[in-house]
Amino acid sequence: MHNLTDNVLMIKVKEGDLDKLGLLYERHKRRLFGFFYHMGNNPSVSEDLVQNVFVRILKYRKSYTGEGSFTAWMFSMARNVNYDHHKKVAKESISREISPEDANSGFEDGLNDQMDHEGNKALLNRALGLLADDKREVLLLSKYRELKFHEIAKILGCTEGAAKVRVHRALKDLKTIFLQLETT
Amino acid sequence: MKEDKFEIQAVDFISGSMTEDEARRFEKFLDENPRYQEKFNDLQDAWGMMEEIDSPKPSEKMDEAFFEMLSNEMDKQRSKSSKSGLLSWFPIIFKPQLAYGIFLLALGLGIGYVLAPTTASGPTEVLVANHETEEVRQKLVLTLLEQPSANQRLQGVSEANKFENADEIVIKALLQTLNSDSNVNVRLAAIESLTNYVDNPTVRQGLVQSIPNQESPLLQITLANLMVALQEKASIEPFKQLLQEKQLDTTVKKRIEKSIQSII
Repeated sequence: MHNLTDNVLMIKVKEGDLDKLGLLYERHKRRLFGFFYHMGNNPSVSEDLVQNVFVRILKYRKSYTGEGSFTAWMFSMARNVNYDHHKKVAKESISREISPEDANSGFEDGLNDQMDHEGNKALLNRALGLLADDKREVLLLSKYRELKFHEIAKILGCTEGAAKVRVHRALKDLKTIFLQLETT
Repeated sequence: MKEDKFEIQAVDFISGSMTEDEARRFEKFLDENPRYQEKFNDLQDAWGMMEEIDSPKPSEKMDEAFFEMLSNEMDKQRSKSSKSGLLSWFPIIFKPQLAYGIFLLALGLGIGYVLAPTTASGPTEVLVANHETEEVRQKLVLTLLEQPSANQRLQGVSEANKFENADEIVIKALLQTLNSDSNVNVRLAAIESLTNYVDNPTVRQGLVQSIPNQESPLLQITLANLMVALQEKASIEPFKQLLQEKQLDTTVKKRIEKSIQSII
């Protein structure tokens, strides 16, 4: 139902009712921000990238067909935005990105000594940060329950089975890294 | 079970993409294979971890930037649509229907120009019409000159003035009026009318011949003045005849003598 509404909203945006993009933004901004953040961008860069996604949505609104979910369409754009950003950064050889674990470690470590639960989360974030980019990406996409595996497969450009295998292996790696971090 | 198949099924199971039957079968498989059960437990743990992963809240600056971008875009769209309102007239102008219409109009004008009657035929018709009018006027003049009322005869003479080129019949009628009309005014009007045709020898001759017939001093003086103006030498003899008339007015007599002198 939510998906359908997203699609209807996007169709309206396509027809020129740009106001409706505000609603879509409110619905998805947190998720997109989280995606960029966990993909290794600092919060400020992540915010810029969220903005870039919506700029692209506006720019390419005419190409939206309404087939498949809006979320899948949006995430395939988000993926491209992230890819372009990292390519640009690598080209300029100024890596402004700060991985989330680095960004947080400074002040969180002290707090984590007292709060075990929070410590686990920080460790988890670090573990995620240490995962290979493609594995992190597939895990983040599968985290959003709205995306079906065939949609994730489409975003990644592989078969549905391959997407599932990737999720499986990524989860396995995540667990391994997490355990390693915990023991050190 | 092959490793690949297990990986896929495990992901299906934890993500809830399996049907009940499939899920039951998978659970049974795990029960029977402790090695896979262990793998699956690790996977489930990791899946649970992913649930716990969260990210900081984006700042309000992100919202501000987004809504500013959106409102700019909306303004742009509005100005574009108002521009396109003006531009939308151009396709109408260049519509094939309109071009076709203009072509047909031009074709029509061209055909009209080619098929139009030649300009020569216009004046011919006008001449014919004029000729008919002249005929009617001639009849009118002749009729009016025969009327008993002097007023109508005067009207006839003034109608005769309207001829561009009076023919013989009208001139004869005017000369006859000049010689025999009972009313002086009508005769005077006839002289006036005949002065339009002094180039015509018949008119000049008629005027000269009418000199002895005139008894009215007014007419005698008018004729004398006219003859001086025309320098008509043939008029000297009739004037000399007139001078011999005993009843001739002295003023007229002097005037005629003066005229004869100026003609000679």
